[in-house]
Amino acid sequence: MEKSRISVRNLNLYYGTNHALKDVSLEIRGSAVTALIGPSGCGKSSFLRCINRMNDFVEGVRVEGKVLLDGENLYDRRVDATLLRKKVGMVFQRPNPFPMSIYDNIVYGPRLHGIRARQELDGIVEETLREAALFGEVKDRLKKSALALSGGQQQRLCIARALAVRPEVLLMDEPTSALDPVSTRKVEELIRNLKKKYTVVIVTHNMQQAARVCDDTAFFLAGELVESGPGDVLFSRPKDRRTREYIAGRFG
Amino acid sequence: MDETTLYRKRKRPAEAFLLSAVYGAASVSVMLLCGMIGYLFFRGAGAVSWRFLTTVTDVAKKTSGIAGNMINTLYIAALTLLAAIPLGVGAAVYLSEYAKPGKLVNLIVFTTETLAGIPSVLFGLFGMGFFGETLGLGYSLLTGALTLALMVLPLIVRNTQEALRAVPEGYRSGALGLGASRFYMIRTVLLPAAMPGILTGVLLSVGRIVGESAALLFTAGSDGHLPKPGGSAFGTIRSLGEKMLESGGTLAVELYLQVQNGRYETAFGIGCVLIAAAFGLNLLVKLAAVRLRNRA
Amino acid sequence: MKTETKHPHSGSVMADRRKKNAAEGIAQTVFAACAFFVILAVVSITLYLLAKGVPALLQVGPGKILLGTVWKPTAAEPQYGIFHVILTSLAGTALAVLLGVPVGILTAAFLAEIADRRLAAVVKPAVELLAGIPSVLYGLLGLTLLNPLIYRLELTLFRDSPDHRFTGGANLLSAALVLAVMILPTVISVSETAIRSVPPGIRAASLALGGSRVQTVFRAVLPAAKSGIATAIVLGVGRAVGEAAAIALVAGGCVNPPFPFRSVRFLATAIVSEMGYAAGRHRQMLFTIGLVLFSLLMAVNAALTKIRKAGTGEHG
Repeated sequence: MEKSRISVRNLNLYYGTNHALKDVSLEIRGSAVTALIGPSGCGKSSFLRCINRMNDFVEGVRVEGKVLLDGENLYDRRVDATLLRKKVGMVFQRPNPFPMSIYDNIVYGPRLHGIRARQELDGIVEETLREAALFGEVKDRLKKSALALSGGQQQRLCIARALAVRPEVLLMDEPTSALDPVSTRKVEELIRNLKKKYTVVIVTHNMQQAARVCDDTAFFLAGELVESGPGDVLFSRPKDRRTREYIAGRFG
Repeated sequence: MDETTLYRKRKRPAEAFLLSAVYGAASVSVMLLCGMIGYLFFRGAGAVSWRFLTTVTDVAKKTSGIAGNMINTLYIAALTLLAAIPLGVGAAVYLSEYAKPGKLVNLIVFTTETLAGIPSVLFGLFGMGFFGETLGLGYSLLTGALTLALMVLPLIVRNTQEALRAVPEGYRSGALGLGASRFYMIRTVLLPAAMPGILTGVLLSVGRIVGESAALLFTAGSDGHLPKPGGSAFGTIRSLGEKMLESGGTLAVELYLQVQNGRYETAFGIGCVLIAAAFGLNLLVKLAAVRLRNRA
Repeated sequence: MKTETKHPHSGSVMADRRKKNAAEGIAQTVFAACAFFVILAVVSITLYLLAKGVPALLQVGPGKILLGTVWKPTAAEPQYGIFHVILTSLAGTALAVLLGVPVGILTAAFLAEIADRRLAAVVKPAVELLAGIPSVLYGLLGLTLLNPLIYRLELTLFRDSPDHRFTGGANLLSAALVLAVMILPTVISVSETAIRSVPPGIRAASLALGGSRVQTVFRAVLPAAKSGIATAIVLGVGRAVGEAAAIALVAGGCVNPPFPFRSVRFLATAIVSEMGYAAGRHRQMLFTIGLVLFSLLMAVNAALTKIRKAGTGEHG
């Protein structure tokens, strides 16, 4: 097994008095897709948001334990959280393009981080749209509003937008739950391609999807990490009774 | 130095600048208020006395008093609301309960907005000409009140409409399902439920009426005397009735005239009274809003 | 009330329903009449201003009035040029917007995005109270507080210019500052609502791309709220154009081209300050000025409607 890219050690998360993640430890491999599965409310999305510290913005949140990215603890006091989020990109459950042109959506991130040169920005736009398999569909209307795109196209635009800041890790929070089956298939195909360059962590409630796209899988239940391992192993020979029941469709 | 490490907070001077601009703007807004109110009370508190509030200006004794203006203000407010509340609430009920969406509703909504956008000085011009001259009401409290009724109408329509919109659909279908007629449902279910919202509109209207000067200067005039004492209950009513067709200046109009005549002390005194009224109304609006939220 | 509380066995159902239907019909008619009254009011005001303002406009000549620069309504040979008055209203409003809108939008951003609950709990009520202050009080405070300050500035700036006619601080700049403060509450509250209605996903997207909180506000949230903020600005413009009482006290009142340190007269203040003594043609002229003011505000309203339409198209 390759060396892990992200290691989570004894992570506890509280929303006020609600203990949302209980002593979670997990190793996440680089250049692979790790799927987090579990019934809704199990803490998988909260876990994901610990990796780019998006939980910081939730009022009354408290995090204990360590999340190491390339050996650096994200919750160290010295960490520049905005830089972290540049390194660890995120795609959300609902497509959330800015109400601007397609072009401006993509260059939003690069501009934030100080890239101004027109040519460079143009290059980034084309490159990331190609990476997100969207370039062909939108190349003639880059200056048109992103809100005119279909839901599936919007989500791929959001992926392209996330890639435009050159992240190393990409977090995806149920990225296809608001999409139709055709768009879902396109996005899944895209995810499988992305792992060549990026470390991908994806939350999904759809086990077929997890099986289709992932290398590794981690199963969460009621704030605890029940079981993790290579996807094929976890799906075919789960060790824990609860994992077995979940996969068999007994709950969630 | 390693450029990729996360262990170093990057400095962002542009951000510090923007953030201080935001804080600066907010402090400007707060300081403006505090400064203005503070200065107002500093200059005006001395003028406010029991005699100032309960007598009328007496040129011979060289005393100034605003009792007449206070009565006029209340009188105009009452007359205005008497005209504007039924019209405004009625229009809002029609818009949200009877009218079917379409051109007509759009036209009414558009004209309501237009009415809200007309500046008070134009209401004054219209009121003076139409109510004062064409209808022959002259400079009188009634002319002023009718003018202001047009001015505050949009406030009442809008707030009532919003309050009606906040009433859950279930209330309506529930009452209608029990066999109540639409009008009965409106009277017994809808309007009571929307009452705090209507009240908000009314209070905001009172605020505008109390603070208005440009629209009243040439409609209600500037007289500051008290209504003649009636002697009896009947006499009082008759005297108030007569007063309706006589000139009368509200506090805000009196303030304007005092400033024009350079009597700042009296002006600041009236200012204190007006601000106290504005604060009181603001408080009441908040209470109404709280009640509306608890209801809905 | 009595007709509604009926005993189950009293009277026939048919008769009862007929009575009920009649009441229903009357109620609906009355409500409809109230709604039509709003239309009637606007139509009457429009027609009245046209009827009173147009004749003088035609008799004297629109060119002479709208483009004339001399306003001498009481002279033996009266002149009714209001070009400078119109320009003053436009320039004063523009200046007020320029000064007030940035402060307003930034304060709104502060309230909706930056401030924690405790700070917002101080600033928000202050803004609401600001909105409740009667306009004539702004005039009083402008006259006694602002004019002396502006006069001091004027004395310093024009110390060496013998041609300057000193205004004692009662000039366009003072008026614009007063107007800027007066439009603040409108701009703040409408912008704040617009900012708050930006979907949370927009903020999350910007933050997740490594945007700081401030960057997120300025580059993602404010642009996303732009149609609402435009509405706020236009409402502010409307308020500034129409204000009369406050600036009648601080602007000086002479008809002059609009320069910051000149005593000036606005459209709205012209009406207020001359209505008291104007008669005959002069008085008609004030209605003509009212008509010009009315047209300006209709233009503002049209802009508002257009922005609102564009805004709904954008999000729909």
